[in-house]
Amino acid sequence: MTITTPDEALDAPVEREKSRSLVRPLLVLAVITVLAALVPSVLSESRQSIAVRVLIFAIMALGWNLMSGYGGMFSFGHAAYFGIGAYTDSYLLVHHNVSPWISLFIGAALAALVAVVTGYLAFRYKLRAAYFALATFAFAEMLRLLATNTHWVGGSTGLHVPLLTADSWWKLQFAANAPQYYYIGLAMVVICVLITLLYLRSRSGIYTVAIRDNEDAANSLGVPVMRVKLTTMALSAAITAVAGMFYAQYFMFVDPDIAFGQAQSVQAITPAVIGGVATVWGPLVGALILGPLSDLTSSWLRNPPGFLDFLAGRSGLDVIVYAVLLIVIVVALPKGIVGTVKQWWRNR
Amino acid sequence: MAVSTRRQLSLRPSPFVATMLLVLALFVVALLRSGSMSITGQALLTGLIAGGVYSLLAMGLSLIFGVLDIVNFAHGSFLAIGLFVTYEVVHQTGANPYVALPVAIVVLFVLGALLQLLVLNRTMGSSLESQLLITLGLSLLISNALLLFFGGDPLSANLHNDPGVHIFGAVANLSRVIAFVGALVLALLLYVLLEKTSFGRAIRAVAANRQGAGLVGIDVRMIYAVTFGLGTACAGAAGMFIAPFTTITPTAGDQFNILAFVVVVMGGLGNIMGALVSGLIVGLVEQLGGVAIAGQSPLLSVFILFLLILLIRPQGIFGAKSS
Amino acid sequence: MRTRTSVNVIAAGIGVALLAGCGGGGSADSGSSGGDPKVIKIGTLHPLTGPYAGDGQQLENGAKLAIKAINDAGGIKSLGGAQLQLDAGDTKGAPDTGQSEAQRLISNGDVALVGTYQSAVSANVAAVAERNRTPFLMDVSGDDSILSQGYKYSFRMQPKNSRFGTAAADYVDQIAKASGHPVTKVAYLHESTAFGTGAYNAFKAEAGKLGLTMGPEITYDAASVSDLTTQIAQVKASGANVLVVSGYYRDGVLAAKAVQTVKPKLDAVVGAADGAFDQPQFPTDAGSAANGFFDVNYHLDDSAAAAQAFVKLYKTTYNADARTEAALAYDAVRTIAAGLESAKSTDKTKLRDAIAKGGITPLTISTGPVTFDEKGENTTALPVLTQVQNGAPVVVYPKEYAAKSPIYPANPGQ
Repeated sequence: MTITTPDEALDAPVEREKSRSLVRPLLVLAVITVLAALVPSVLSESRQSIAVRVLIFAIMALGWNLMSGYGGMFSFGHAAYFGIGAYTDSYLLVHHNVSPWISLFIGAALAALVAVVTGYLAFRYKLRAAYFALATFAFAEMLRLLATNTHWVGGSTGLHVPLLTADSWWKLQFAANAPQYYYIGLAMVVICVLITLLYLRSRSGIYTVAIRDNEDAANSLGVPVMRVKLTTMALSAAITAVAGMFYAQYFMFVDPDIAFGQAQSVQAITPAVIGGVATVWGPLVGALILGPLSDLTSSWLRNPPGFLDFLAGRSGLDVIVYAVLLIVIVVALPKGIVGTVKQWWRNR
Repeated sequence: MAVSTRRQLSLRPSPFVATMLLVLALFVVALLRSGSMSITGQALLTGLIAGGVYSLLAMGLSLIFGVLDIVNFAHGSFLAIGLFVTYEVVHQTGANPYVALPVAIVVLFVLGALLQLLVLNRTMGSSLESQLLITLGLSLLISNALLLFFGGDPLSANLHNDPGVHIFGAVANLSRVIAFVGALVLALLLYVLLEKTSFGRAIRAVAANRQGAGLVGIDVRMIYAVTFGLGTACAGAAGMFIAPFTTITPTAGDQFNILAFVVVVMGGLGNIMGALVSGLIVGLVEQLGGVAIAGQSPLLSVFILFLLILLIRPQGIFGAKSS
Repeated sequence: MRTRTSVNVIAAGIGVALLAGCGGGGSADSGSSGGDPKVIKIGTLHPLTGPYAGDGQQLENGAKLAIKAINDAGGIKSLGGAQLQLDAGDTKGAPDTGQSEAQRLISNGDVALVGTYQSAVSANVAAVAERNRTPFLMDVSGDDSILSQGYKYSFRMQPKNSRFGTAAADYVDQIAKASGHPVTKVAYLHESTAFGTGAYNAFKAEAGKLGLTMGPEITYDAASVSDLTTQIAQVKASGANVLVVSGYYRDGVLAAKAVQTVKPKLDAVVGAADGAFDQPQFPTDAGSAANGFFDVNYHLDDSAAAAQAFVKLYKTTYNADARTEAALAYDAVRTIAAGLESAKSTDKTKLRDAIAKGGITPLTISTGPVTFDEKGENTTALPVLTQVQNGAPVVVYPKEYAAKSPIYPANPGQ
């Protein structure tokens, strides 16, 4: 197809966005990175796995946020891309002894390709809002069912990353809870934030936001809507696939439910919504809160307070508290934490 | 290019006919694969009967979406409450489980209406993802509250006598036949309520134009509460109907969530009658698909149909409510 | 690694400080949280919430009873009467949660882990245990492949899945021949994941050796199935006279009800490690449809005084019926305690070596004291055949363990 060049009318805002300084966000990122790098030295070992979980959440939410927050294409099936990343990594490692660092790119490319194909179909048939969300959801479910019944990816048992006898950077495997996992995850988060920052200032990124805000207007101004949407989807899918690959390496295991289950799609959405949709820092803040939340409620309520003694020996209370907190946060802060703070800052 | 021209072809079969042809094709494949009319006939009956409950459940979901624009992921959990209400009634009084039907409907109606008044009303018009998280949170909350109070061990609320009913050489439990008939009767009642009463007109007015409805003196907040209550009452009734042949656990409703969504979209989001017919179709596709595509999950055929419908006709085979 | 050990010490310190206050509250044990420094923690990993919460609770309760029994009897005597403390983890039924919980418990300083009910979770925890050199005893988790990775620190109390499939073929063949109604054709209905497929493959292999004719293999998705009538109609059409089923609880009840409705001409329905047919509440939930159903599974040694006492104690403590899985958790904790006793140390490597020697007399039917082979499988654990008779499952085969004799043909569903 031919690519129409956008009208002059669009160049002004594009130039304005581009010229907006990157200095401040980069500074914030640098501060966050330094602070986050100190975490392993102050955190007890039992909390390390929670820290790594926070990082995985953050990568997934960053990926989701790009497509659904900035792009307005609400995905309820990011598990599809996550799972492709996780399966590509473990399959290539288990059966072909390929390094995760290579699988990382193969998985990301595969996820991007799948995103482009599904996105093309969905947009061609003009699926929007809830329909688009349900289509992405159904697609992830289909992958889950297929993986469950496909023997060469291990069927319902899934794939186990083989244990090595010594640490290996090439195979991305270290002693359980070695700080290397945390630092690798952190590096990935930082790179994903950088990608988000840069993409949002690129022509394609600016168009993405313009299309979200008013697709018809963008279209009439000559923005190649389909191409921009697909680019954003591909990038979002690739980032999410990275989270999948890292997950498979860290947990050394992947099965159809873990990879493509509804829970994984929800985990991509929740941090972004809690932290603030369509904000750069929202997914990070959300991940920081949600990562430890269920562990916190579990440990607080592992032995319920005195007045709840009649519940002794019953389970469920911790999840109830978690669910209530989740509902309260979403109801009280509809724009998310970062969004609310931003608004407050502006209205000061 | 194809879409626009194809849409103008007058010979194009209606989406409903096309879907029925697909079901027929599935029937033929199932017949060939199993080589037995009795198996395929059984799948047909089982599917149709299971579909009745899907229909009732999905009508509630579709009503909530159509009027309130809420994609309710807690619907399966409301069904689970219906199961436990039935269990409690049977357990406390020793009565026939069907005695619990009015109880389940009233309890779930009140619960749904209160939930809408106290919690969800604050979030009306907020983004899809916020609502998704809230209803998912609700679902977690409900299933774990049930776990807390009833424990995780399986419970039952059986009929004392549940004989097989023979229909055209196939067979189904009496309780399943009652569930099928009961679900359809309730579905029709709901339809009459929405279409033929002034109250139903008010609900439809709010669905069509909430500001306009407010201006002519309709209490929109109340309509929202009642609508959500009606939707959850559908789930509660469905829960009661399946209780006699279901193992009752706190997460027993979750498996119906996904299917109910498939039904709702297939019937057209917000289209109540569409949900009714689609429920039966999904039941059929699930059972026939299970026989036709042996070795794969029966849900696979349901999802393939779902994606096909989404891509080719996102407004559902009966058309969605206009927005 | 140098830094890790120091972090470990700090973590253990914080863990102890945190747990000192809330220690044994949930485990209902008798005041072990006092000033006694001799406390040894054992971690449990069970699905306390989520779809498997009912089973998780049983396993957890079994472990708690064992800890209490050992402490009441004077604790670990070779370690100065050290008291055991249960450190509970909730897997929520998910492998990744199970893994992070395992990591947490190990960092808490737990000397050994017990769990987890689901094979997928156990496979993950076994890898964690191996990497942290911490003994891990599986109470319930059947998948063969978990222990085929060459792990040194993982052990399994129950027989592995394939043994149930093999035993099911042997047992049904033997009792059918003895009754004069030999097996003519076997239809097999199983859930479609590794558990059901594994049991089926083992059964088929054994059936081949025995010369049994295999009919259709019918699979279903346990998570979404709500009616098995069509599947049982397939069984009926196949003309098989024995139906073998491998599934979980909910679908087992569905299968029983469908058999009663469709009434295929079967001599027997036999579960191969089925999650329903041997459970005490199965006849309650399935009603008369449960009559005569067989199951090949692990089972409490009902004739032994210890097992009877356990069932009674469980009933009085938790006001619920103990299932065999609770006894497996009980025995897993006792095996660890025996290991501590003979190792005279809480060093996890020494403990592992002591556990590998086994030795306790289990509450479940076995050919002898717990004995682990080099893979960590408990070789003395024995699958037995139960049958629902007069509204309760009882052991009917092999003869030396049987409480009653099998009724065959059982004419299920008639």
